[in-house]
Amino acid sequence: MKCKRCRKAAAAVDLPSHHSAFCPDCFFVFFRRQVEEGIRKFSLLEPRDRVLVCVSGGKDSLVLWDILMELGYDTEGLYIDLGIEGYSDRSGEKIAAFAASRGKEPIVVDLRREGVPIPEAAKRSRKEECSVCGTVKRYFFNRVAATRGFTVVATGHNLDDEAARLLGNLLHWHGDHLERQHPLLPGEGGGLVRKVKPLWRVSEMETAAYGFLKGIDYVTEECPMSEDATSLVYKEALSLLEEKMPGTRSRLYMGFLTKKGTFLNFLTSAEINEAPPSGAEHPGTCAVCGAPTYAETCGFCRLKEKVGRGAVR
Amino acid sequence: MILVRMPQKKKELTLPGPKRVLDILAAAGVRPTTVLVTQGTRLLTKDQRVEDGETVDIISVVSGG
Repeated sequence: MKCKRCRKAAAAVDLPSHHSAFCPDCFFVFFRRQVEEGIRKFSLLEPRDRVLVCVSGGKDSLVLWDILMELGYDTEGLYIDLGIEGYSDRSGEKIAAFAASRGKEPIVVDLRREGVPIPEAAKRSRKEECSVCGTVKRYFFNRVAATRGFTVVATGHNLDDEAARLLGNLLHWHGDHLERQHPLLPGEGGGLVRKVKPLWRVSEMETAAYGFLKGIDYVTEECPMSEDATSLVYKEALSLLEEKMPGTRSRLYMGFLTKKGTFLNFLTSAEINEAPPSGAEHPGTCAVCGAPTYAETCGFCRLKEKVGRGAVR
Repeated sequence: MILVRMPQKKKELTLPGPKRVLDILAAAGVRPTTVLVTQGTRLLTKDQRVEDGETVDIISVVSGG
């Protein structure tokens, strides 16, 4: 198969959803354009932004950091060491090597030192690991960004992640989640920093192919805590659809973004009507740590409190 | 025989060659949209033919959580 763009070199990546196939050089052009278009479409980033890129050691976040640097953004990487024996150490090593090869050093938050390593925090708080992980990560993403002068937090969520999340939100009619699902979450004053997902137009396979062809050494093993993650079930279902009907994933998510306003007007759940519209209401401050929150105490402090008094299951 | 390695699953299998990548994936029970198929530093497209005696790696691209 020849590259559909240059029509000279052999194709290395075939993309049925785009009716296309590219050689490595042309694929880099394609991928870069997709990310640039994703950023432009919703004004995710401005040239003067200081971008905090949240890196896990996996393909998506390292590819995101790599391409944002290539596009000329002022970036630093933040690694949250989850305290998962073996896995977290290997992830940290990959990130350190990646950063060093680009003259950078990641900012590291060690959850063992913070008293909330994920496996122990989940046991003590009697919550699911992925839920605890989400709470802790969101807290530190914002705290590090706010205290170190970053204007925006960027995460490596890709098209597959967002389509799977959308499918889950639709299946359970999570109206408030649907309302907030977007590649751009504006900063809301009160210390909440803007959050963006610049890879929302590119698939997981495209991101992995870009990482592989660029020689980015990422962690290929899956987080041992996420084996039963429901997002994997939604991804599996969407993969089946994608295989039979290429482009389904993209049409689902991009269609949602285009028709979101109209669609949400059809939903009449009290959940949606009661949810504060994004950006319309400023958060208060946590009574314990001072972080922005819509409750009296932020989710992270409530978790820490549970971890402190919780008995191991 | 073609040696097919799936490092994340810690599995290997051997298949009679030659075979197209798509047929290798079918034999391995893997959805084509969820993996990269690599040979050394090369990425293989799904229509490429793998010869007897060659080795390919199937790398899952799906991450959860």
